[in-house]
Amino acid sequence: MEVYVTGIGMISALGANVPTALDGLKLGRSGLRPLHRVATRLQGRYVAGEVAFSDNELAMRAALPDADLTRTTLLGYLAASEAWQQAGLGAADTNRTGFISASTVGGTGHAEQHYQDFLDQKPTPAFIDTYDNGDSTEFISRRLGIRDFVTTVNTACASSANAIVLGTRLIQQGVLDRVVVGGTDALARFTLNGFNSLLLLDPTPCKPFDAQRKGINLGEGAAYLVLESEAVARQRGARPWARLSGYGLTNDAHHQTASSPNGYGLQLAMRQALRRADLAPAAIGYLNAHGTGTANNDVTEGQAIREVFADAVPPFSSTKPFTGHTLGAAGAIEAVISVLALTHRLIWPNLNFEEPIADHGLVPAQALHVAPGLQHVLSTSAAMGGSCCALVFSKP
Amino acid sequence: METSIIASCAIRGHQIFLNGTLRYEAPAAASLTEFLVGAYRHFGLSYPKFFKMDVLCKLAFLTAELLLPATGILDRLDAGGIGVVLANRSSSLLTDLAHQQSIQEADNHFPSPAVFVYTLPNIAIGEISIRHQLSGENTLFVADAYSPDTLQAYVAQLLAEGSCQACLCGWLEAGLTSHETFFYVVESHEPSSTTRRPHHVPALETLYAQPLY
Repeated sequence: MEVYVTGIGMISALGANVPTALDGLKLGRSGLRPLHRVATRLQGRYVAGEVAFSDNELAMRAALPDADLTRTTLLGYLAASEAWQQAGLGAADTNRTGFISASTVGGTGHAEQHYQDFLDQKPTPAFIDTYDNGDSTEFISRRLGIRDFVTTVNTACASSANAIVLGTRLIQQGVLDRVVVGGTDALARFTLNGFNSLLLLDPTPCKPFDAQRKGINLGEGAAYLVLESEAVARQRGARPWARLSGYGLTNDAHHQTASSPNGYGLQLAMRQALRRADLAPAAIGYLNAHGTGTANNDVTEGQAIREVFADAVPPFSSTKPFTGHTLGAAGAIEAVISVLALTHRLIWPNLNFEEPIADHGLVPAQALHVAPGLQHVLSTSAAMGGSCCALVFSKP
Repeated sequence: METSIIASCAIRGHQIFLNGTLRYEAPAAASLTEFLVGAYRHFGLSYPKFFKMDVLCKLAFLTAELLLPATGILDRLDAGGIGVVLANRSSSLLTDLAHQQSIQEADNHFPSPAVFVYTLPNIAIGEISIRHQLSGENTLFVADAYSPDTLQAYVAQLLAEGSCQACLCGWLEAGLTSHETFFYVVESHEPSSTTRRPHHVPALETLYAQPLY
């Protein structure tokens, strides 16, 4: 059973929706700005990929001004609605439909604003109920009228790629006809301070795969894809953006936060994905890499790319200098960016790159360029806890 | 191929059970950490990283540490063929609180990398994978309660499509007022006439509800 991508939606530092993000990608316009929205002592010290709307503005955009929703839920709802509408879907039909969403932060950003009041036993908004990672999933699925299968995945920075794999499988097995898959995460003091304590934040715009890279810029956002079985997509005349032709999920089994020296888990994930898609490495025309900009990731991921592709590494880039690292949403945001690459036959630049890493010598794409024959795109994610995921999107 | 549940291990309160038999018990007065460290010593384990782990990871580590050797899968299967699929309700809440406390007050601000690392529940899968060098598929579901339906369906598919030959599965929870683990291993095998516990939902419900657990 083939699985098609029939709708995409995304909100990120690149803008409120997919068309705005596409413009930004084409113009090489980064969404990174000095951190200013999250109330933290780190303001003025770091850049971040913040979504350029306040919680109130997001609620107005979502036409939910009085619902007291977390930022994570609002971002997720806006992106999922865009994907749903863009797929040409309206009120629930008889097709068995699921919603699988990833989040690592959940309602943390909301909870931390009220935590002191809670400790002081003052009245607080219902933040305990919205703290957990599943809360946004429940709200969004209810609003979209999806009830046949609803679940939340948390495998750190591979979460939403993992959600895409689960949805694909459920269609392949015939459990569902259609599934909205992706993830949402809002920036919070919690994560900013945590990554800062790990000494992983770059105060300036990140430089993935560069010898002088200094670390991550955190970001926030949400992205979802509507996946449908070939039969349902065809029957309702949906326009497919891409076919999800392969996936791989593995564990690096090396360290809680660091990747193994040769990126063993990522190698396994990429090989699994190619094998499932029945493709040779040479068939991949663009690789959207994880490329966080940390010392450890970019050297080990590069080694994994070398192991899989040897001397024939396809054009590749990390698009995190456009969006920041959006954690639980990153896999889905980069899946949407990969589908856009495939659709428009464009290879996105790896902004801010200057000098290759000596260990593997890989040079990413540095300017936008057209790839007329682009047929297959590979997107990878790696996470704390060792979770690794690779996805292959092919021309429908 | 058939699939069977070949072993199970659970931590309930201050007790640890392996295949339905009580293997360790701490006094009711012991704190959770005293209980977990006591179990580590009782079983003669030697893995110093254990002491750096948060409660959720200690629970997961101990359960896997007793369960996996009892199955023999580490000897007979390739590490890439063993998956880990867990579900959890409270995520890493206990460690989240510790991290939040550390950034709560402006004049007492001390976020620690050693704490922040554990603010993700799938780190527990990472700890198990590192310890036993498992590189197979893994995922973690967030669920309201132990739900054998979701786990059974997902794991059955992993085994059916050959993504793994065996899978460490179960429920892992460390909340504000209680904690629990219930892990089991499912393995694919040639059809066999000897008595085995089939991998289906009623069997998982029975196993989970058995009095000793």
